[in-house]
Amino acid sequence: MKSNRRLIQLVIFLGVLVLGGYAIGNALFASKDGLPRKGSEPPDFALLDMNGKTHRLADYKGKALVINFWGTYCPGCVYETPDLVKQYEKHKDKPFEVVGINLGEDKLTINNFVKQFDVSYTILQNENNDVQRKYGLKSYPTTFFVKPDGTILDIFVGPMAEADMDKRIEKLLAS
Amino acid sequence: MSLLDFSSDAFIAAFFLYCFGFMFYGVSALGRKWSNRSPEEHTRRWGRIAYAVSILGFAAHVTFFITRWIGGGHIPTSNMYEFMTFLAMAIMFAFVVVNAIYRKPLLGLFTLPLTVIIVAFAAVFPQEVQPLIPALQSIWLKIHVTTAATGEAFFAVGFAAGLMYLLRTVDFKKTDERARREQRWVEFTLYVIVVIIAFIGSVFAFRGAGYEASFKQENVEISDTGVDNTTTETVEYSLPPIFKPYNSQVVSMDAFLGFKEPLMETPHWMKGVNAARKLNTITWSVINGTILYGLLRLVLRKRIGAAIHPLMDGIDEDDIDEISYRAIAIGYPIFMLGALIFAMIWAYIAWSRFWGWDPKEVWALITWLYYTAYLHLRLSRGWHGAKSAWLAVIGFVVVMFTLIGVNLVLVGLHSYAGV
Amino acid sequence: MLTFENTKCECGHQNPVGTVLCESCGNPLDVEEAASEAPLEMRYDGIARRSQKANPSPIDRVWNFFSSVKVAVRLIVITLIASIVGTIFTQENAFISFDPSTYYEERYGWIGKWYYKLGLSNTYESWWFIGLLVMIGTSLVICSLDRVLPLYRALNKQQIRKHLTFLTRQKTVYASSVEGAPEAWTASMAEQLKRRHYRVHQDGDALLAEKYRFSRWGPYINHIGLIVFLLAVLLRSLPGWAMDTYITVPEGETVQIPETNLYVKNEKFTIDYYKDDELPESLKGTARAKLYETKAVLYECEADCDDPSKQPQLKEVKRHSIIVNDPLSYQGIKAYQFGYDDTPKLKSVNPVLIDHKTGKTYGPFKLEMRNPELTYALGPYTLELRQTYMDFALDSEGKPTTKSKEPNAPAFVFVLKGPDLAEGGEPYMYFPKQNDKARFSQDVINGELAKRFEIKVPSMEGVEFAGVVTSLNIRSDRAMPYIWVGAGISMFGLLLGSYWHHRRIWLRIDGGRVTIGAHTNKNNYGMRAEVASALRGLGIVVEPKSLDNGRNKS
Repeated sequence: MKSNRRLIQLVIFLGVLVLGGYAIGNALFASKDGLPRKGSEPPDFALLDMNGKTHRLADYKGKALVINFWGTYCPGCVYETPDLVKQYEKHKDKPFEVVGINLGEDKLTINNFVKQFDVSYTILQNENNDVQRKYGLKSYPTTFFVKPDGTILDIFVGPMAEADMDKRIEKLLAS
Repeated sequence: MSLLDFSSDAFIAAFFLYCFGFMFYGVSALGRKWSNRSPEEHTRRWGRIAYAVSILGFAAHVTFFITRWIGGGHIPTSNMYEFMTFLAMAIMFAFVVVNAIYRKPLLGLFTLPLTVIIVAFAAVFPQEVQPLIPALQSIWLKIHVTTAATGEAFFAVGFAAGLMYLLRTVDFKKTDERARREQRWVEFTLYVIVVIIAFIGSVFAFRGAGYEASFKQENVEISDTGVDNTTTETVEYSLPPIFKPYNSQVVSMDAFLGFKEPLMETPHWMKGVNAARKLNTITWSVINGTILYGLLRLVLRKRIGAAIHPLMDGIDEDDIDEISYRAIAIGYPIFMLGALIFAMIWAYIAWSRFWGWDPKEVWALITWLYYTAYLHLRLSRGWHGAKSAWLAVIGFVVVMFTLIGVNLVLVGLHSYAGV
Repeated sequence: MLTFENTKCECGHQNPVGTVLCESCGNPLDVEEAASEAPLEMRYDGIARRSQKANPSPIDRVWNFFSSVKVAVRLIVITLIASIVGTIFTQENAFISFDPSTYYEERYGWIGKWYYKLGLSNTYESWWFIGLLVMIGTSLVICSLDRVLPLYRALNKQQIRKHLTFLTRQKTVYASSVEGAPEAWTASMAEQLKRRHYRVHQDGDALLAEKYRFSRWGPYINHIGLIVFLLAVLLRSLPGWAMDTYITVPEGETVQIPETNLYVKNEKFTIDYYKDDELPESLKGTARAKLYETKAVLYECEADCDDPSKQPQLKEVKRHSIIVNDPLSYQGIKAYQFGYDDTPKLKSVNPVLIDHKTGKTYGPFKLEMRNPELTYALGPYTLELRQTYMDFALDSEGKPTTKSKEPNAPAFVFVLKGPDLAEGGEPYMYFPKQNDKARFSQDVINGELAKRFEIKVPSMEGVEFAGVVTSLNIRSDRAMPYIWVGAGISMFGLLLGSYWHHRRIWLRIDGGRVTIGAHTNKNNYGMRAEVASALRGLGIVVEPKSLDNGRNKS
């Protein structure tokens, strides 16, 4: 009888600790939105490049990857593009890729932009902006630095200066 | 005569019948001392008359409700006026139920004035039938609002009995610390009731006199992009302005007692919807309430509580204590069903979530938690008598804040129920 | 109040430590209780609760803490106050996009600043508020368990003949002398009580009558329901159990619901307003909405779902007119009418090319705002589209740019090729909207070319606007059934406990004197009336009030 009572007490306390701990921990630490953060894996996508070829996140597994969200209507994006091209050219023989996901503009606009800035890295079209939402974008430009193991090293919101890019890409390549 | 006109006539009839009912309950309690019948016989006879008149009032009220439902095409519980009239009707229903169990007509002496005040308060709000906006077009408007109001009505009867208990038991002759504290709080409760009556009285007096004042208020808002955006809006007052809106100009103003200009300006940090007008109305209510209270004191030559206390002689205090508790115990499950469970079901259908921490939802939860605490204290901790009665009185303040305060003071999804 | 005296009752029953009234005969054991004259403390029938034991270990202490009703009430009151604090200012989750770190201070001053800093702008999601709910849940489990098991045992093995003190110290008591055989008198009383739906157990000249015992379980059923409810709320935070997203669907278009293989088509969006004759005087002339309706079709993708280079193959699975109180529902996913946007957005124009010199008109040609064709052949002339600006503006350096991708102020840069024109063609800038054309002085930009050629829309029929955009809230909540079950159980228990009352009547005749004691957990008024009415059935007339043995006075 006595040990039975003790057992019930322990079971209940254990239940409270596990469930209550989960509930409180959830309130403390979890990001309720499930959006990508540093250290988490970015959400998958399947998008077309300018030649109509499908690109998926999985295609870049094992490479250091920079995902840059941009639009021609965003001055910050225009500002950082030449430097991003430079960075890509510098490291393109390494396992390193840059992907620029456009924020729902039409082909002509994108093509003009690519020509104007000699963008050599992959540009993807995202007509209905769903990837942007999955990545939880709040402002443009936003750049995700993804390590070869598929986890996010850093997220940069706003236009990057060359030093900002350089520092992060070096780190990315070192990892 | 249209059905809706008939309906408002029935409403007026109900109001006056309730007033008479209250008066007869008063005669039943007061007249014991000078009636030539035996006191028990007198009380029983007038209690019966008062009850009959109150029931007639209730019948007129139900007639109002049904004809307005038919005439308006939807259940009349969709704005503040309709809700308050429904609440008053539910309080009468709760009174009938509790009276059927306990046969204590004197309960009417406290329930009837409460009903009269709520009916009069309802009439402060616009009375037109307004067609339903899409959010309200649901069967749950009928189910949720009526059950929630019925639960609250039982809490109101619990409040009436609780107040009655306090007036019965608080000894106004004693002078020790505890007795004086209780006397003060009972008197304060009565003072608040006087202020509410003064509020209703002021609104109707100035409305009857056709008083009007109007202001042009300039609002400066700084938008996200940092640009100043100035909008002007016209603010209409139906009470003479003690406080004019912040940063406003008088457009027109009827003179009152020789005053042709507002006395003061509302402080800038009061930014709610119609904050200035509400502040002005509250100020008027407190001023007039205090005058009214002072007059009553002059006439009675003692505190109101001390004047009512002797009327309650001979009433079994334990019975009132029990009635107060039973009313709340009956109302509690109805309230939980209507104000929480049905509310969650409707919220799930209309707003896509069963609970969203909207102020009205939170206050329904607060009310529920409050009465949960009340029941636990009473049943498990043995809080009877005065403690329990005070809890019942305060509980009704919580209920009224949930019903009115949230709409007037806080913002949220239930705002369409406002004025 | 623990008592460590001899817990063996005079009737010979050995009671557990902490027992107030003997489990067997009901004689008061607790010293204070035994010395008093007041009605007995009948809560949980005077049994020892689990928590009340000697030498508590740390686990027992925690257990004791949560098993206390006093603590439970305190938790309730703290939660209540916290809830009030959370309604002072609008909570963060009520806004769709704003910056909380500046909003509260800007709007409410230093109070707002501290409100935000203390985390009160997110009261209901804060760890401490959740912690309070967890503690209330714990208290619910432990308080109930601590009482229901002993109570069950006590009610399950009741003695018919209780100690005389037990009877005389109930709240409802009757005593008088009786004539005739005690057994017969008891039997006739039993008959009266049976008529009132009591289950009667007779033991010679002693009797125990009982009804509505089930109502004693009401509070515990209620608590179980609340625990189920709280657990169901917790379930919602598991990944994949709750989805909450918004989609905007222009009329006539089909949009994928993110992270599903479902697609929603908005066939038609309707807003209806009340007409003036439906409105009361004060509302006449105002736009009071009567109906928001999205005629929606739900498709499931069957193939090519994840390949943007192919069109997904869709199969219609559901068709529903979504209105505010009537969402579309399919396999646990619901689509709610949330909002709409009916500001007109240009979709396409059908302009013509006019040669002012010859007076000839070429075209019309269809110019789409989204993904326009790149070349247009117009008689001898060709228009090549070189650049588009959907929301035209000039940047700080005076260069053309676009402010967004929405066609608010569309501008098109063409190269016009053909007879009489320069070899590589000549650039022509075209603003389809008349006011933009004037605002950005199209004719000045195009210079000499503007005098000869003009691209313009000949009539309003050549302008197409995109349909009204409806926005839908897409939800799935797999925990909902458990939420409703929890609420239902809780409500059921509450009804049982509130509207039925456990009533017990004990009777014993000692030497020609009958003693009746009656107990109920609620509504002593009704209890007295029932005893009086049973006595009246035996020809004994008593005022119910006279059975009152005094009450617990605080």
